[in-house]
Amino acid sequence: MSQQAHAEPIAPRGRPASKPESRGRAVRAVLVGIALFYVLVLIVAPLAGIMYYGLRNGVGAITDTFSQPDVRHALYLTVVIMLITVVVTTVLGLVVAFVLARDRFPGKSLLSAFVNLPLAVSPVVVGLMAILLFGRGGWFEPFFSAQGIQIVFALPSMVIVTIFISIPFVIREVVPLLEELGMDEEQAAWTLGASRLQTFLRITLPNIRWGLFYGMALSAARAIGEVGAVLVVSGQVQGSTETATLYILRAFDQYQAERGYIVALTLAAFSIVLLIGIEAFRRRSLKRAGQE
Amino acid sequence: MKQVRVVLGAAVAALVVVVAATGCGGGSDSSNASAASGGDCTPGDSPVITLAAYSNPYDAYGKLTSTFAADWKESHSDQQVIFQMSFGGSTTQAENIVNGFPADVYASSTAPDVQIVQDSGLIAHDWTQDENGAIVQAGAVVFSVRPGNPRNIHNWNDLTQPGLQILTPDPSQSGGARWNIVAAYGAAMRGEVPGYAKGSTEDAQRLLEGIFKNVTVLDKSANDSLKNFEAGNGDVAITYDYQAATSIAAGQEEEIVAPPSTVFIQTPTVVVDKNAEEHCVEPIADAFVKYLHSPDAQEVFASVAHTRPIDITEAKKGTDSVPPIDDLFTTDDLGGWDTLIKDTVFGPDGAFTKAFAAAKG
Amino acid sequence: MVADALTRASGRARRDPGAPTRWALRATAMLYLGLFVLLPVVVILQRGYSDGLTNLKDALDNFGAWNAIKLTVVMAFLAAIINGVFGTLLAYVLVRIRFPGREIVSAIVDLPFAIPTLVAGVMLVALYGPSSVVGGWLEDHGVKIIFAAPGILLALLFVTLPLVVRSVQPVLAELDREEEEAAQTLGAGSWTTFRKIVLPALRPAIVAGGLLVFARSLGEFGAIVFVSGNIPNKTLTAPVFITQLLSPGSFGATGGPDQAAAVAGLLFGLAFIVVLLTEKLISGRLERTS
Repeated sequence: MSQQAHAEPIAPRGRPASKPESRGRAVRAVLVGIALFYVLVLIVAPLAGIMYYGLRNGVGAITDTFSQPDVRHALYLTVVIMLITVVVTTVLGLVVAFVLARDRFPGKSLLSAFVNLPLAVSPVVVGLMAILLFGRGGWFEPFFSAQGIQIVFALPSMVIVTIFISIPFVIREVVPLLEELGMDEEQAAWTLGASRLQTFLRITLPNIRWGLFYGMALSAARAIGEVGAVLVVSGQVQGSTETATLYILRAFDQYQAERGYIVALTLAAFSIVLLIGIEAFRRRSLKRAGQE
Repeated sequence: MKQVRVVLGAAVAALVVVVAATGCGGGSDSSNASAASGGDCTPGDSPVITLAAYSNPYDAYGKLTSTFAADWKESHSDQQVIFQMSFGGSTTQAENIVNGFPADVYASSTAPDVQIVQDSGLIAHDWTQDENGAIVQAGAVVFSVRPGNPRNIHNWNDLTQPGLQILTPDPSQSGGARWNIVAAYGAAMRGEVPGYAKGSTEDAQRLLEGIFKNVTVLDKSANDSLKNFEAGNGDVAITYDYQAATSIAAGQEEEIVAPPSTVFIQTPTVVVDKNAEEHCVEPIADAFVKYLHSPDAQEVFASVAHTRPIDITEAKKGTDSVPPIDDLFTTDDLGGWDTLIKDTVFGPDGAFTKAFAAAKG
Repeated sequence: MVADALTRASGRARRDPGAPTRWALRATAMLYLGLFVLLPVVVILQRGYSDGLTNLKDALDNFGAWNAIKLTVVMAFLAAIINGVFGTLLAYVLVRIRFPGREIVSAIVDLPFAIPTLVAGVMLVALYGPSSVVGGWLEDHGVKIIFAAPGILLALLFVTLPLVVRSVQPVLAELDREEEEAAQTLGAGSWTTFRKIVLPALRPAIVAGGLLVFARSLGEFGAIVFVSGNIPNKTLTAPVFITQLLSPGSFGATGGPDQAAAVAGLLFGLAFIVVLLTEKLISGRLERTS
């Protein structure tokens, strides 16, 4: 397992290029060109567009946007939902990952299937599920309304749907790592007298660290970007149940497109930094590990 | 064993986080006292009124709610009313209320949407008997065209010209969409559209079919539809006149063309009794809705939302923002919303139902 | 070494972390997934299918229903194929070819995960819609992207690109080069080598990525509701149709949450089967490489 993450092209160095090699280089250039063009048209151009429309009026527009109480509340709400989602999907996701990777019992593959189910469900349907469970006439509605707790069209349902859609990420990153890791180190630790918890904290966790962080970052990015499901369950009450993405929707609706773009950029920047940061740390730690 | 306790502890901690969020979220969203069933209730110091409105009048209601809250504070020993507002497609809002959205006041764009809420039992009184029939805003269905009217749109039949791209919202989600369709239907039935015989349902259907052949986008709300048009898509948008007027006032480049015959849009705002009762804010909600009928509030609607007077004779004359209309008819002139929805236009054999199937099938 | 011997000696008991912890973990996992995943799925299936297939039939009787489902499936399929090809290409380029800016491109590929789908939709309309420079030019030449089927495809391609790349990239990176180098010394050209040696090794990852694209595309809402125009029988997709079902009374149809639930169940049933297939492929690959 000592392959490098990025392999070298085949042509050896220190020789003038022969004809097949220069053709090879041309082919490679064409391939790179096609790939870059695809990425440019599909991803870079739209992103550049958002940046242009959001930033063209400079810092003034940005400070104006962030001074709006609606914007601040929407961002705050998004962060709250994200934090709760990441905590729940990480802690409980780790439990599920351990069960999937290490345990064996009848029905385990069913469990594995459930982990992946949220990937297959349209966000709109997720919202519908919440309404059917907690809305008027829903299965749990009598219980909660007797307690005076509002679930749908309030924060709890927004958290619940966001958790649903974020469930797979941590688990899918961690399970292959656990399986690859094997139990050698852990068993060695046990035989040397370490407790399960110590083993988990000192040996397992550090080994799966980067996969776990990446899964958490994906979870966080997904949570802050969710729109379809929260649209259905939130009721879009300004300054109350409006997330950042819902604010963006309304901003475009109400002739505040520029503010919409700026908030969109904020969300995108946050997610990008998170994902890239974790990737960068991971590669650096792999490099360091390779040098030992 | 220690390990078991740790695992269970972590799991419980995670679940506690969720429940705490539930509790906090649930609690902080209503700082009202709740009425015990059948008991007395006194609203808190800062009663919250939740308003669910259709997509368009956000500026008007923003102003009206803050004015009302200020006046109320003065006259009710410093009681600070807080308004929480949500704007979206009229039908979507109605559905949300039925599904549990705790709106105390519902500002709808069409009577049938209010009916949806009433049928669920949340509106206990006959709102059609409210002041002015619960109507707080009025307008007319018009066309919004590019400056200079390059495609020469003057009447409903002009919408059927080949190659024209029309924007109108999705009738299943937007009340505005249904106003648009009823306007076309009514104009044809009243014989005000050249080429379409008076009283002929086949001709009305033919007109609708011609129009919808040219519809390229069905947006989810009236607001979305007009925004789309303003983004440069399509040649003409069928819209509320006051919505277009608001856009023009905001600097958008478009012109309003009023057809000679169109429907008088009447949008009702109603107190959702059961919710208002439960939140102990019924008197305040009632007062707010009553306020909407006052001359001051009507003035705000006219200046901020560019709506017409709710009296039809006055409305026909037009205002500074919207043009006069020759033949302004109401849904009652066509037999009332119930007939239109269940039978003549949107029913299984209705003119629109058949026209749409033919146009898009 | 010692630990392994002990393990083998004492069998399964040694591998398990102790029965009470094992049961606690299992119970927690099942409770978590049961509450958050199983329960919502059950409520949809119950509301949608407690009357047998009536709800589904009624829903499909609605105007534009069948075409919405067909369009959604076709678009999802096309997205899977196109991003299968381009995603593999991208993965190959990123892993095997050193070019300036490679790190940046690698980061860009992950961007769709970071951008809310509705923002992507808005941007695609602004960039390629009829009122834009590009879109206007295309329309003058008879090509309509936004508010037509190609726009849907564009939105799907944007949203799902990372899925294939991230599926193929790790497999490609770990591929043993010996076979390829052997083929090259025997005189095989690069393309033949790629076709006969690399591609078969990558196939499970490509298919897995493609299947994920398919499943994801079946449910996409945020980007599509902006770019497609939502015209029944032309550009209306199933997820948007489900939203419409929740508001009864249009086009003389019935609608309602039960019908919406029926169609929703059909949709994610299909997507779920696809995701299951993907898992089979991935675990098959893992078993082969360990």
